[in-house]
Amino acid sequence: MTVSDLSNEEGEWLEQQLSDPDQGTVENSLVASDLADRVLSVLSPEDQQALLMIDGEQASIKEVAEVTGWSESKVKVRAFRARKKVREAMERLLGSRDKKPATVESR
Amino acid sequence: MNEKHITDVLDNTALASLPESEISEMRAHAVECKPCGDAFAAAQVSAVVMRERAQVVIEPSPFFQTRVMAALREQQAESVPALLRLWRSSRALVSSMALGTVALAVLSLTVSAPATTALDQTASALSAESVILGQDGEELTYEQVLNAIYTDDEDK
Repeated sequence: MTVSDLSNEEGEWLEQQLSDPDQGTVENSLVASDLADRVLSVLSPEDQQALLMIDGEQASIKEVAEVTGWSESKVKVRAFRARKKVREAMERLLGSRDKKPATVESR
Repeated sequence: MNEKHITDVLDNTALASLPESEISEMRAHAVECKPCGDAFAAAQVSAVVMRERAQVVIEPSPFFQTRVMAALREQQAESVPALLRLWRSSRALVSSMALGTVALAVLSLTVSAPATTALDQTASALSAESVILGQDGEELTYEQVLNAIYTDDEDK
C-alpha cells in the first residue's frame, strides 16, 4: 500500500497528522478510521481483533484473553506480530509519500 | 535507550500504554537514528488510527428500525391470510375426517360387545348337533334320526 492508494481525504489526513497531530475533528476521525481499515487489511481477522482491542481500546492482555478464549501468551504473540506488520505497512506508506510524484496533487 | 534501537519496544507494547518518560527517550533516539525515526513516526500514526478506529461506533441508519419493523409487519400480514386460506380449503375435509373417526370410535365401543354375544348365541343355536338333536334340546331316537336323513335324501 502506498500513498497513491489512498483517497484524497486520507492523504490529507496523513499530512495533517504528521504536521499537527493534535488537530482532530469528527470528520478526521472517520478518515482515520478508514485508513485504519486499509492498514488492518494486511492482518488476519484474529490479529486485527487483538490489535484493535489492545492498541485501540487499551484493553489488557488478560482482558483480550478472556474475551477471545486465547491464552495470554497467544494474545501477546498475535499483538506483537500484528503491531509489527501494521508499523511496517505504515512505514512503507510514509516512505512512499516522500517518493510521491510532484504532478500528483491531492485535489 | 540511545544506544539501542527502539523497534522491539514499539512492536512489543502499545505506544499509548508507555510512560511519557520512555516515549521521550525513544523520541530522542529517533532524532539521531533514521531507521528508528521512521519506525517511531509510523508507530505514532498507527497508534492514532487504531485509537480512532476503536472509537468509531458503527451505528445503523436512523431508518433501519423503521424499515425492519415495516418488513416484519408485511411478512406477518402475508403469512396470516396464507394460513387462513389453507384452513378454509381443508376445513371440510378435516371436519369430516374428525367426525368419521369419532363415529367409528363410538360405534366400536357401544356396539361391539352385544354383537359378539348375539353372534355366539346364534352360532350355538345353529350348531350341527343342535340341528340334529332338535332345537329344544330333547334327544331324538335312532329311528327319528334315520327318518330325517332318508327323508332329506328322498326329497332330493
